[in-house]
Amino acid sequence: MITANENTSWITAHADVALSGANIAWLNQQRKSALTQFEAVGLPGVRDEDWRYTNLRALKSNDYALTSASSLNIELADTTNPRLVFVDGHLDQAASTGLSDSVTSLKDSLEIVEAHFSSTLPKKPHGFTALNTAYAHDGYVVHLKSGQVLEGVLEVVFVSQSADAVSHTRNLIIADANTQCTIVERHVGTHGTVYLNNVITEVVAGDNAHVDHYKIQQESNDAFHMGGVFINQAKGAHVKSHNIALSGLVTRNDIHSNLLGQGAHVEMNGLVIGQGRQHVDNHTEVNHAVPNCTSDEYYKTVLDDHSRSVFRGRIIVAKDAQLTNADQQNNNLLLSKDAEADCKPQLEIYADDVKCSHGATVGQLDPVSLFYLKSRGIDAKSANALLTFAFANEVIERINVDSVRQELTQIIAGELLSGLEELV
Amino acid sequence: MLKVTNLHASIDGKSILNGINLEVKPGEVHAIMGPNGSGKSTLTNVIAGRDGYEVTQGSIEYLGNDLLELAAEERACEGIFLAFQYPVEIPGVSNMAMLKAAMNSMRKYHGQEEIKAGDFLKLIREKADLVEMKHEFLKRAVNQGFSGGEKKRNEILQMAMLEPKLALLDETDSGLDIDALKTVSHGVNALRSPERSMILVTHYQRLLDYIVPDYVHVLANGKIVKSGDKSLALELEAKGYSWIEGMEDTAAAVQQAS
Repeated sequence: MITANENTSWITAHADVALSGANIAWLNQQRKSALTQFEAVGLPGVRDEDWRYTNLRALKSNDYALTSASSLNIELADTTNPRLVFVDGHLDQAASTGLSDSVTSLKDSLEIVEAHFSSTLPKKPHGFTALNTAYAHDGYVVHLKSGQVLEGVLEVVFVSQSADAVSHTRNLIIADANTQCTIVERHVGTHGTVYLNNVITEVVAGDNAHVDHYKIQQESNDAFHMGGVFINQAKGAHVKSHNIALSGLVTRNDIHSNLLGQGAHVEMNGLVIGQGRQHVDNHTEVNHAVPNCTSDEYYKTVLDDHSRSVFRGRIIVAKDAQLTNADQQNNNLLLSKDAEADCKPQLEIYADDVKCSHGATVGQLDPVSLFYLKSRGIDAKSANALLTFAFANEVIERINVDSVRQELTQIIAGELLSGLEELV
Repeated sequence: MLKVTNLHASIDGKSILNGINLEVKPGEVHAIMGPNGSGKSTLTNVIAGRDGYEVTQGSIEYLGNDLLELAAEERACEGIFLAFQYPVEIPGVSNMAMLKAAMNSMRKYHGQEEIKAGDFLKLIREKADLVEMKHEFLKRAVNQGFSGGEKKRNEILQMAMLEPKLALLDETDSGLDIDALKTVSHGVNALRSPERSMILVTHYQRLLDYIVPDYVHVLANGKIVKSGDKSLALELEAKGYSWIEGMEDTAAAVQQAS
């Protein structure tokens, strides 16, 4: 058992755990230095500027056990796409389809990821990121060789089913030059179960690679989700990160992109649907390191009941990154007077010939629009749902996977909008 | 169908309607004219159940029931439709989506099954043709980026889809060029029936050349100061609103007293 609020407990537990790739020197070296980093920073707290709106008291008051492999004991919805299934952080081979030379588990491909493992991580990682590197044992690896296109959509489901479990999962998407893939990563759990899912996905996009990454967080309402999506983009690489948070008790996502080659473009879309006492903290960072790159960020939050959200959007434009075009929007819709949204755009611009724009709003549903819908006979609940959908739709319509778009429409608007796609 | 008796209403404590009496029978078309600020739009908004208006005195009876007891959406389900003077833009919701939600919400209210997708599509295309609206507009977000004329046309499309018993048209002619006015009027006239009543609120007589009313009422300072037939509108047009100033002395006195 790891006592979460004792930093030493995380370190001593490491000596006892049998991790995959224990005989790989570079990996052991990384794990060792990550532990040293963790020893220095520990788990974050509200005194850390980047965590001041996110209270981890509930997370820290629990004890966790590192899990071993077990087989899936919940039923997943059918899908026509290839799908990898991870249970408590370990690949469940029997439940998975779509494994190939290009799509593997981390455990089976440690030899080939040396050049990329941790290459995208922030220089000063926080405690959860350090722990992830120290404990990483499995995850998915998509490795596309130059020119390769991964057809269709690859789904990866991370199921957390053991109570009081902690899993540290590391995924890598290595997309060499001129490759293309769409990956839908989903995190699910059973409501009522407490666990900690600490998961990082690294994206290394080579010249002109196109990567669409979806992260859908549907954890247990009592679970903690600490997530990172760290992206490096070479010349002309186009990456879209869709970050959708639908449940969980406390969620934190760090979504970073380093634009390292000219002509790179990143799109960061985010949607938070908060209810109950959910807390979702999204920290995004776009690092324009070279000239002629573009970034387009659109985060929307809908908060009901006592839910809370935090958005910190950082854009850094380096001195040489002329002709940068960066846009960031963060809109928050509060459906309850007990809900709270904190947003903090943060632009650091060191170049002089750039176009950077940002906007942040916090508001409620428009009473005139509500009356308009009601005057057409639409009941109050449906009118609220339609307008909420209208608010969220600007992010939803950026989603290119039909099934995901329909799923979100259904979640927000129920049956109100069902069957309309076929009508058009 | 509709019986408004001694209706007084205020907004933010300011009295706008000062004793309206109006009776509308099935199939009748009533025009309400009057200068700016006379309370024309307030009257239709109060009938439709918009928030923010306080009825301080009087009553509205609709189909034999107390209308003021009903929420806006219930009034709509009971057959009252308000064509807005300024139709609202709703980015993110298509015309089709809104109308399907509206039809199904009304059907649910009346204990009926949802409309079948095919039937809905057939109906909405038919009604779009009636108001000469291109079918591509059906897929577009409600009123977003529509011209003034397109918005008003869209209001009539909604009215045609929802088939109200009592339609309130609030300055439907404002902002329309002559061609759009003809199209919109054509749509409205096509919806006239012995069972369907209409109240047209307008500032100008022009609309009444195309939609011929059974009765014309002149509103001033929150009261109906004169009622007549179609010829009253022409007389008003010829003489101007200053003509009725004499008639509104009583109403003005009420205004000053408050």
